Amino acid sequence: MNLFDFCYGIIHWLVDLINNIWYWLGDFLPWWFGDFFTAVGDFAASHGHIAVMAILLEVIIIIAIALINVLNFIWLDRKFMGRMFDFYGPYYVGYKIGGWLQNLADGIKLFVKEIITPAKADKVGFLLGPVIYVGSSFLALATIPLGRQFYVGTNTDLASTGVGASALIAFAFFAIAPFSILIAGWSSNNKYTLIGGMRSAAQMMSYEIPMLLTVASVFLLAGSFGFMDIVAAQHDIWFGIPLFIGLVTFIVCLAAEVEIQPFDLPEAEAELVEGWTTEYCGMRFGLFMMTGYLRGYIGGALATALFLGGWHGPAFLPDPIWFLIKAYTVFVLIEWARWSLPRVRVDQILDIGWKRLLPLAILNLMIAVAVKSMGWF
Amino acid sequence: MTWELFVFLFLAASGLISALLVVRAREIVHSVIALATCFIAVACMFVMLSAEFVAIVQILVYVGAVVVVILFGIMLTRRGIMESEKR
Repeated sequence: MNLFDFCYGIIHWLVDLINNIWYWLGDFLPWWFGDFFTAVGDFAASHGHIAVMAILLEVIIIIAIALINVLNFIWLDRKFMGRMFDFYGPYYVGYKIGGWLQNLADGIKLFVKEIITPAKADKVGFLLGPVIYVGSSFLALATIPLGRQFYVGTNTDLASTGVGASALIAFAFFAIAPFSILIAGWSSNNKYTLIGGMRSAAQMMSYEIPMLLTVASVFLLAGSFGFMDIVAAQHDIWFGIPLFIGLVTFIVCLAAEVEIQPFDLPEAEAELVEGWTTEYCGMRFGLFMMTGYLRGYIGGALATALFLGGWHGPAFLPDPIWFLIKAYTVFVLIEWARWSLPRVRVDQILDIGWKRLLPLAILNLMIAVAVKSMGWF
Repeated sequence: MTWELFVFLFLAASGLISALLVVRAREIVHSVIALATCFIAVACMFVMLSAEFVAIVQILVYVGAVVVVILFGIMLTRRGIMESEKR
């Protein structure tokens, strides 16, 4: 039973329950009204309506899982940073569970803050920036399968292959972010935000290319653009082992794409106040920060699905648990680099992107071609 | 009127209106936002024609590259063009 069937069953049960009461109510009314009641009830019980509601329920489940993961990531980030810098991290709010509730407290604080739009800001762009950023990041989440049966799908025929080209869809939506960042940076009408937006655009555009080249090598080995086929092709050996260079390049590019520490030039606190988010306050800033961590989760999930074998693991744990363990491991690795390494300078960042990572990505692609032509995959 | 026709009319209208806004907007960045909207509307149209791969590549290549257009727009135009007089 996959996620769609599960949601379909739940919605079907709910509709039956409500329809019993509905038809019972309709029996009391005169016949012309009773016919209307019957028509509405029949529509609610039809396959199309239940399927649409089941898809909505799937989306809610996937987003809930992602948001809980984001809370975990923020907590993990703070605790890990605390341990590395020799202090405790958050521990007061939710003392029994290690200060996990601190994120919720911060969220409530951000919710009740006033939202200020600067007087000289460009209103349209200032509003559109966070919307596009959050929306495109959540769309990138939609295609990532957490398990053999745990993915957003519409019917059971897709169970073997999943959505075709789903990996490309995820990267397409992952790549929209620099657009929204530049819009947000420009429309704040502030020199720091504009510089932050420019840096972000330059950095993301130049790290996109080695990232997509390493992903191309994975597509080459798996012979498919879909996550289901890619993960299924890693049943014997993870792609991260023959393509180890690709894995390292991918994770470095990922750190640059989600703008975390060694590559967080766009929001370098020491140079630009808070980078392109300087003028945002209240929940808009909260959305930016939350989506930053959400992108960290998506990045970890992408690295897991493409290089670390996805949900494959010993059978004593269910598929989604293995997937999340690997995604968390990737995230903790990135965080480890984040709290250990100094920020790269602005002239070094394009050096690293174009002169180091791009040749590595091309070397990785050549290795993939060699391995494929040897007939090992 | 079928749902498909309704969705097509919506997409066509948003594509045409955003294409018009590209030309008519007073600020370059606004016209670039409209350009991205137009590309996304065209991508959705490709999905309706069941050419999903073209739609994905449309988003990946065109919407991704709109950033470069903004960069050129900001760097190569005078500041007076970027800021309208009445704010």
